[in-house]
Amino acid sequence: MKQQMDKNSIDTRILEELCDAVGRENVFDDIEERVCYSFDATKERSLPDLVIKPHSTEHVSNIVSIANKNSIPICPRGAGTGLSGGSVPIRGGIVLDLKNMDRIIELNARDLTVTVEPGVVTKDLQNEAAKHKLFYPPDPGSARFSTIGGNVAECSGGATGMKYGVTRDYVLALEIVLPDGSIINTGRKTLKSVAGYDLTRFFVGSEGTLGIYTKITLKLLPMPEKLGTIVSYFDDFHDALNTSDSIQIKNRILPRSLEFMDAACLASLKEGLKAAIPEGAKSLLLIDVDGNEKNVTNTIAKIEDICRENNALKCEVAKTAEEREVLWEMIRSVPSSLFKIATMKFNDDFCVPRSKVKDILEKVYGLSRAASVKVAAFGHIGEGHINLNVMYDDGSDKEHSAHTFVSEVLKEVVSIGGTITSEHGVGDAKAEYVKLELTAQEIELMQKLKKLFDPKGIMNPGKIFV
Amino acid sequence: MSNDWKNEVSKCSKCGKCHTVCPVFLETHDESAVARGRISLAEALKDKQIGYTEKLRDYVYSCKKCMRCRKVCPSDVDYEKIISALLRGVAENMGIPLLPKIIFRYILPRRILFDTLLKVSSKIQRFIPMKKRGQMRHLPLLFMGKRWIPTLAGKTALQKFRKTRKVENPRMRVGLFTGCLINYIYVDIAEAVVDVLNKMGIEVVIPQRQLCCGTPSSTMGDVKSSKRLAEENRKVFESLELDAIVSACATCTKSIKNDYMHILGPSWKNMSDKIYDISEFIDKFIGDMPGVKPIGEKVTYHDPCHLLWVRDISEEPRNILKKSSRFVDMDMADACCGGGGIFTIIHYDLTLKMLERKVDSIQRSGADTVATNCPGCVMQIADGLAGRNSNIKTTHSIQILQEALKNGETKK
Ligand SMILES: Cc1cc2nc3c(=O)[nH]c(=O)nc-3n(C[C@H](O)[C@H](O)[C@H](O)COP(=O)(O)OP(=O)(O)OC[C@H]3O[C@@H](n4cnc5c(N)ncnc54)[C@H](O)[C@@H]3O)c2cc1C
Repeated sequence: MKQQMDKNSIDTRILEELCDAVGRENVFDDIEERVCYSFDATKERSLPDLVIKPHSTEHVSNIVSIANKNSIPICPRGAGTGLSGGSVPIRGGIVLDLKNMDRIIELNARDLTVTVEPGVVTKDLQNEAAKHKLFYPPDPGSARFSTIGGNVAECSGGATGMKYGVTRDYVLALEIVLPDGSIINTGRKTLKSVAGYDLTRFFVGSEGTLGIYTKITLKLLPMPEKLGTIVSYFDDFHDALNTSDSIQIKNRILPRSLEFMDAACLASLKEGLKAAIPEGAKSLLLIDVDGNEKNVTNTIAKIEDICRENNALKCEVAKTAEEREVLWEMIRSVPSSLFKIATMKFNDDFCVPRSKVKDILEKVYGLSRAASVKVAAFGHIGEGHINLNVMYDDGSDKEHSAHTFVSEVLKEVVSIGGTITSEHGVGDAKAEYVKLELTAQEIELMQKLKKLFDPKGIMNPGKIFV
Repeated sequence: MSNDWKNEVSKCSKCGKCHTVCPVFLETHDESAVARGRISLAEALKDKQIGYTEKLRDYVYSCKKCMRCRKVCPSDVDYEKIISALLRGVAENMGIPLLPKIIFRYILPRRILFDTLLKVSSKIQRFIPMKKRGQMRHLPLLFMGKRWIPTLAGKTALQKFRKTRKVENPRMRVGLFTGCLINYIYVDIAEAVVDVLNKMGIEVVIPQRQLCCGTPSSTMGDVKSSKRLAEENRKVFESLELDAIVSACATCTKSIKNDYMHILGPSWKNMSDKIYDISEFIDKFIGDMPGVKPIGEKVTYHDPCHLLWVRDISEEPRNILKKSSRFVDMDMADACCGGGGIFTIIHYDLTLKMLERKVDSIQRSGADTVATNCPGCVMQIADGLAGRNSNIKTTHSIQILQEALKNGETKK
């Protein structure tokens, strides 16, 4: 906990001005409300001075200009499911809760675009698109509770990344409230546009440090006709990795998803879910394939053969949507079920060139044994992406060794050409590691750009750069 | 119990999955209205960052205790322990509002006093105009405008079944835990249980000294009253040699089967194992029902939170309805109807929003009747339908079975 104060430090005059701007019923300064907006899914906590719940772009713009005038930090917040501390107000100030801006403004089925407010829950958007037989591919494990605004700010990925890419690949245009309160529009509602510098891409993944998205236009795809799912279990993670190589490289199959889980993850899953996991399973691959009916059936059969060639203990093809859901729910539960191993976890979602996955995993397990820290790894393995979780108990002396271990691993990741974060963002949780990947000159350039947009440094201070 | 809740608090991973199911959060989008937010409040209390304040009390009372969050939690947090500790803390530190306290401590544990007071009300209600299809404007809420509450029964279920109806060579002898709503308002539901089970060769005993299950008091953190009620009920039911105990109220079943395990401890296990929701009992012990002839009406089913999310019971009542009517499922059958004790009173506006959605689903289903397995939901849904001048009837699934059995007899 960074702060213990129970009185907010915002001047009453400013408070009144904010209330006038957005309505008193949307401004909260009581300690109880502030506690409820002091965390995200990293479990890190820091109290804001105020919580404000805007309902429109105009609200956001008014709040931001008042904050800017008075140099009050602003921390935008979607659903607070971030895994890097992005929406934790570590410098106090205002938490801007965007959950009430949740309208799907326009879905244009002929243009293959949809424009939404940032507070729309990812799954609600996917469902709306599905009604028109359209498909919004980015599918983070948190899709049912995270918001599009958060997804854009973190450039979230997810299970479909293997074939369809990440959030960035779907953002066409943004309406943004800049730190001085002005409103700009970047990009166009067209499937292509290259007029001027690509400000849209610059803002995607900016973790709330440059401005606040108030409208987001996304690209949609036609919904694939059919979805096939197969799970296989192995008693050695090498077999799982060989399987993935064989599918993607040797057999040139492009699955929609190719997910991996190691022994520690499997062990942490709820008893209720465990039923289907065979005795002795030390790793899992969950594979989705989409396309037309015939293709999917053939490809799944082919993948099953490949799994068996690589010593799979058990393969299971989902026969119904419900069976598929059970398997995916197992994957989605892992990040939270890991807390059964220990009360605290440090999560890093690094990515390496896909040919280096085996090397890095061997290195991770070797280092963890040497440092006697508990680790659990899962991820979108087909893309070389691994969520590494280092588990330790709150208040134990392990916190320090966990951090030393993580920096060892990340040094290795960077040295083999990887990145310290694939889709969860830097936030403050990983800010200390940025310099492993970016040079001083690159960091300075980025900070100059930040200063250009946000001269007073009010937007989500303390994130990305230390 | 004491410090258990603190462990539960530290188990929460703050992932936010509870957002997807919490009926209150889905209406308000307020973090303070969902398990994750309340857990952060419990954490702040534990760390002495906050104290007991009116605001905290409001946030704690805004929980419907439907336990959906507990069911979906990937970290296995026992949210019920946390919310109960918060409610208890609020009660201990801020006191229980005077009127509920009088009711829980002095009236609920005394059946005769309770009866007398309600008898007086049931007399008074005759002088209140505006009766509508068996429902009347309920006094305290009359002033709020729209609330339709059924009339109090002249004779309570306990009074009506003072003597056990004899069954020749019964195959089983079960006790009925009536619960307050069925005892005082929906006596027909108790009657349906007795009718149906008797026809299946089962004798139904309605112990006269049984009391309120204790949910209203535990909802307000009044541990003392809940404990007292639980102990009295234990005496009553343990003294009888019963093969099973059934209840037609989802909330009472949760209370006496699950909550009493915490209140009375492991010694209640034997009894707890014998407690069933009425549909669960029929499914388990009766199965095939000769003599049932489906009624012509289209009937749909609403899942009470405490049956579905606490007990995982959804198929059993539907099976009954499929056998006894033209059953149609409604969309969002598992969405909360908004009813539920103190919540309904404090958050009347939210209650109405949930109710409106429920009534929409019911009307969309095209059913003539909506059945459910909880008198609380019956009351709430009937209120919503009456408010729209709808002709759709609200009833308990056991009453549909009762009709189908009657239908079978007349058509023979
Ligand atoms: C169980 C679980 C599974 C997850 N699985 C995945 C996964 O598979 N892939 C993945 O990529 N992530 C995953 N995540 C991480 C997380 O859900 C994503 O980062 C998500 O995009 C965060 O969305 P949110 O709405 O919760 O945003 P928050 O956590 O509230 O905020 C995240 C960042 O976005 C900023 N922000 C929010 N809204 C705006 C806005 N309108 N304008 C500007 N900035 C804004 C915030 O300031 C913050 O920096 C998972 C998390 C959990 C708990």
